[in-house]
Amino acid sequence: METGGSSESSVEPKKGKSKTRRKPKESVLKQKSPAEFFAENKNIAGFDNPGKCLYTTVRELVENALDSAESISELPVVEITIEEIERSEFNSMIGLVDRERVDEALYDDYESAKAREKRLAKEARNQEIQAKNALLGKKTKEPTPVKGIKGRGEASFYRVTCKDNGKGMPHDDIPNMFGRVLSGTKYGLKQTRGKFGLGAKMALIWSKMSTGLPIEISSSMKAQNYISFCRLDIDIHRNIPHIHLHEKQENKERWHGAKIQVVIEGNWTTYRAKILHYMRQMAVITPYAQLLFKFISDASDKNMTIKFARRTDSMPPVPLETKHHPSSVDLLLIKRLIAETSKQNLLQFLQHEFVNIGKSYAERLIGEMGPDFSPKMAVKSLTDQQIVRIHQLFRQAKFDDPSGKCLSPAGEYNLRLGIIKELHPDLVSTYSGSAQVFEGHPFIVEAGVSIGGKDVKLGINIFRFANRIPLLFEQGADVVTRTAIKRINWSSYKISQWQDKIGVFVSVVSTKIPFKGTGKEYIGDDISEIASAVKSAIQQCCTQLKTKIVKKIQAREQQERKRRLSWYIPSYSGAIYDGLKEMAELHGSKKRRYEGEDAELLSKVSTRLITKDTFRQKLAQHVEQVDYEMALEYATQSGVSEEPREDIFIQPLEAKYNFIGCMSPNIGFRLIS
Amino acid sequence: MAPEKKKRRRSDDDGEDSALTFKNRLKPDSIILQTIRSLSASSSSASTSKTLTLADLSLSSTCREVTDLSLDSVQSKIESLILRVAKSILSGDGCSFDVPSRSSANQLYVPELDRIVLKDKNTLRPFANVSTVRKSTITARILQLILQLCIKSIHVTKRDLFYTDVKLFQDQTQSDAVLDDVSCMLGCTRSSLNVIASEKGVVVGRLIFSDNGDMIDCTKMGMGGKAIPPNIDRVGDMQSDALFILLVEKDAAFIRLAEDRFYNRFPCIIVTAKGQPDVATRLFLRKMKMELKLPVLALVDSDPYGLKILSVYGCGSKNMSYDSANLTTPDIKWLGVRPSDLDKYKIPEECRLSMTEQDIKTGKDMLEEDFVKKNPGWVEELSLMVKTKQKAEIQALSTFGFQYLSEVYLPLKLQQQDWI
Repeated sequence: METGGSSESSVEPKKGKSKTRRKPKESVLKQKSPAEFFAENKNIAGFDNPGKCLYTTVRELVENALDSAESISELPVVEITIEEIERSEFNSMIGLVDRERVDEALYDDYESAKAREKRLAKEARNQEIQAKNALLGKKTKEPTPVKGIKGRGEASFYRVTCKDNGKGMPHDDIPNMFGRVLSGTKYGLKQTRGKFGLGAKMALIWSKMSTGLPIEISSSMKAQNYISFCRLDIDIHRNIPHIHLHEKQENKERWHGAKIQVVIEGNWTTYRAKILHYMRQMAVITPYAQLLFKFISDASDKNMTIKFARRTDSMPPVPLETKHHPSSVDLLLIKRLIAETSKQNLLQFLQHEFVNIGKSYAERLIGEMGPDFSPKMAVKSLTDQQIVRIHQLFRQAKFDDPSGKCLSPAGEYNLRLGIIKELHPDLVSTYSGSAQVFEGHPFIVEAGVSIGGKDVKLGINIFRFANRIPLLFEQGADVVTRTAIKRINWSSYKISQWQDKIGVFVSVVSTKIPFKGTGKEYIGDDISEIASAVKSAIQQCCTQLKTKIVKKIQAREQQERKRRLSWYIPSYSGAIYDGLKEMAELHGSKKRRYEGEDAELLSKVSTRLITKDTFRQKLAQHVEQVDYEMALEYATQSGVSEEPREDIFIQPLEAKYNFIGCMSPNIGFRLIS
Repeated sequence: MAPEKKKRRRSDDDGEDSALTFKNRLKPDSIILQTIRSLSASSSSASTSKTLTLADLSLSSTCREVTDLSLDSVQSKIESLILRVAKSILSGDGCSFDVPSRSSANQLYVPELDRIVLKDKNTLRPFANVSTVRKSTITARILQLILQLCIKSIHVTKRDLFYTDVKLFQDQTQSDAVLDDVSCMLGCTRSSLNVIASEKGVVVGRLIFSDNGDMIDCTKMGMGGKAIPPNIDRVGDMQSDALFILLVEKDAAFIRLAEDRFYNRFPCIIVTAKGQPDVATRLFLRKMKMELKLPVLALVDSDPYGLKILSVYGCGSKNMSYDSANLTTPDIKWLGVRPSDLDKYKIPEECRLSMTEQDIKTGKDMLEEDFVKKNPGWVEELSLMVKTKQKAEIQALSTFGFQYLSEVYLPLKLQQQDWI
């Protein structure tokens, strides 16, 4: 049952569930195309409900657009538009005539006579109360208009359009790139944005499922004088594209990139906040991109346009493809590598298909494998048992850790700019860790911590990024959340976990992010390598912040010292004076004897030569003097403080110099060569 | 006798009603009384020896201690302080108080005395400093208020004191802390300042004493017992025919023993402070111990907190270390409930609680404390607790019946002289 499905089943990553549920009797074997599999299990690709579908569609399109622009080292410009479509408009789009309801009682939202009676009674009561309030001159809220009861079938539809300035697609490849799920043959290993490699295809499947409308793609590659236009949908059962129109159009503006338009069912109301968060966080981690987000609907008050401006033009390098690390491969992967390799013998295979195996090391490994292995043996002739032996040895032998060179972290410089650009915090610090290894995959943790800023809640705000895309769901179990909340002693850095607006930004990049959960929405807390890297990165940020915070506190104390000290003057002088007064009374009534200076002082008190005000004035003078001295001391120690400057990015007018750049987290130099 | 007992215990293992088997092991009360009497006798002879003081150990220069001062001398001390400060302000130099530090770095456990004492470090509290201005002002205010008390010669509670200037003090812990500072500054006990805490401790049993002139018979105090008077200086004329003092951690156990009139079966005085002991209860216990020369047996929960309470009675708290000489009662015996009792008395699993991380940490920390280390028996018990990670309250004994505590557990403990 497991493997007997079809030759196709081997490409299905998570099978079983949908198949084994069939009735137990040995029935006709049914083949299932990958497209069908994903249509049935769309939740694993993040298409759980209409709202989430809208969100995931947006993110897939945005991520594709960024990848595409970055692949040709172009600073990304991405425009994403969501248009709400009215039911009648939708119907006309699909050529359905709007029908009036004839049999009202047939519908789910039909208001029965009883229900109407109830509603009318309630309305009457409300009006009565209002009339009463108006009589009493009380101000009341406008009565909320009685909401139309939303029926089950009342779906909302959206046209999602994403336009970029990326690489574009070759004219002839477009149908297959969209209309065939799991069609690409990815060989090797690379840090990628996408989680499943499904991209826009899943959006297409969803549009097919919810609206039946085709996807429209316009694309042009650099130096192409035409625009490819393609309208297509997908034949889910056969997993092939179904082309409606595929033509070349004029390219007047010499535009290159891709524009993808898809009409899907969605839910803007419930996922509005998520989508906006996503865009904002994307702007944080991608400050070199210009993002434009638009929402258009008939209700003009709901419309919005948000521009996330570019803040820098330094772009992380394109991630390099790398080979597998021997400790990270499994049996299946070894078999695949053997099948795909161009190398003839075992020695070359080991040497060239894996990282960190040199020639001499490969020879030592082969020697260790046993007598039935030899360096010159044909790699394709290895038996299953022999492959298991290789696998075992890979597990047990010691290899150097893979280097992080193939990774493309956001970079401290960009992370800092992104945080400053989107949050405008009072303080920010960033830290970039060195590459570390988990199960043969290198990873880099970068972190930023910010204090204050706009649109930030009190307490800890977590921003998680994996391979430079934001993670928004299932935050609670994530390693970053757990670490920030449980394992960082904020107060030791003079940060209040409850009263400060703390932004914690952690970006993990890896050739393989160890996601947890079906939706790939979080990184588990059980991986000690990552947990400790995250913790130390955040701590490094906090340590940097602490010195700044201490300085700030000192500066604030400078300003507030006089005020705070003065606040206590009345109480203090009152206490001392009252004490003296009581003693003076005892002195006057001769109940107690005081001598010399003391007696003199007390008589002055009883004759009101010395009053409470005398003490106040003297104390105020003293405070004034101490404050002056301390301010002088502070100024000589810390120098004249600078006013914070406004951060802007100025696009060079005459572009196209060749630069030699050197970047540090705070400053970047560029030398024209 | 001991091995014989052990053998019997082993044969009891299969017994279903373990409560009953323990009860059967009890000897007649007269025999138990005999054993207690011997303890009482040894205690009264032992405590006749002179108690050591700081001066005896020639530590008086490096450690400080307060004494009871007369109202008049307290008054003149405060007056001279206020005059000094006033003069300093008038001369334009601002002002500051020199306050003995009560931080834990300034505390010292003296094994010869078996209590914590305060070292001689002082801190300056200038007015013109943001970090000390607040405490400095509160200190001035408290001094002035106490001067008033001295002049009028009345007593107020800590709560009263706090309410005289709520705006400045903000919450009572702040005025209480400064009150202790003032005691240290003036070198007198807190009771000499005429400030008392509201009553918390209760006493019942074979004790007669005078409270502000009224004779109190603690056998006729009903179930709730007599509240321990907050100002110990008005307590006197203690008389008792008790053989020992039983210190109880919890109110519940206290009520049980009071209702069962445990003190009539075995003549004793029962005291509780309902948790962490306050100053009045500690002073009262010390006074009883010193005047009546009775052994003190403690019944606390089998958890680190119970032992902590024992330590506060025994060698004082860090907060009040400046007055440890007057507040501590030496030579308290740990009767129960001890970690080893859980198995010995077959307390069922469902009545035991597993210790939290915090409990275990406290337990481990306490193993490092001197007052525990000096008693090997305690170290053994505490190690057992930390090892088994189980704790139990006194109430766990109620699983064998509500009166098991007073009718079986305590008599058996006394009979076996099972205290350490």
